[in-house]
Amino acid sequence: MGTTAAITISSDIMPGFTSYYKTMTLTEAGSIVDLKETTGYSRKKLASTSAVDLFTMANLFVDSDAVSGGGKVFIKNVGWNGTIDKSVGVKVFIDTVEIGVLYGGDWLMMPVLATDGEDIVVQPGTDDAVVLEWALFYQ
Amino acid sequence: MATTTAAITLSSDLLSDTLSLATSTVCTKAGTSADGLDQARMGYNEIPTGTSFNLLDGTAAAIDKANKVYICNNSTDETYYITIVIDAKTIGRLYAGDWMFIPWNVDDATHDIEVTASTGTNPITWMCFHEGETLETQAD
Repeated sequence: MGTTAAITISSDIMPGFTSYYKTMTLTEAGSIVDLKETTGYSRKKLASTSAVDLFTMANLFVDSDAVSGGGKVFIKNVGWNGTIDKSVGVKVFIDTVEIGVLYGGDWLMMPVLATDGEDIVVQPGTDDAVVLEWALFYQ
Repeated sequence: MATTTAAITLSSDLLSDTLSLATSTVCTKAGTSADGLDQARMGYNEIPTGTSFNLLDGTAAAIDKANKVYICNNSTDETYYITIVIDAKTIGRLYAGDWMFIPWNVDDATHDIEVTASTGTNPITWMCFHEGETLETQAD
């Protein structure tokens, strides 16, 4: 089976657009071979506005072809103590470049290249407790 | 309120026990659960090899908003890929069939999302759900 991810987007913003669905199989770069490595599913509580390395790429991509890798990362803001708070956002960076903010309940799925070993960094916008869950798949 | 929902199912048998998760989020405006994103742009483009294109312009998007972006590479040749760049930082590659879904809050006006095809012509589907865009006044 390997690793598969499917997205469904539903929206009533535009008349006539109802939903969109797409699935993908996570494969090695330029290949139909399944990705074979993962960090597993991880979880961390954050409670300060300090920036934290979620992944230290140099530790993960050793002996792997980072330059041509087909890596993908999933990250979700699961809130705290069973409460999803849309006012508590966590910034996600590649190295020092901000990708965006995951507010309570938000998730992302994106490719990771780490050509120069850039880490994935997260930084809460407040010191309210918030939990992130994540998994990285790579080759 | 306008409602946009993004759901994902993720399954993997790389671990000794199967990983399977399903989750969804309602895409709301920044920092609130009371008001959903209410604007959208989407398209289908063919990206020829070799040239970097601004897919989404940071100057046209509202800065520090809770924009969400979806991009899919619809190529069928597994060796084809596009490179995604934000503010001159390479994020990663979308190979044939790959998609991504990210928050894009446009930290500043330089946070364009650029795409570059490295092999062949790559057809892509893209969507941006956002808020706060005002169309430019026509000027001859």
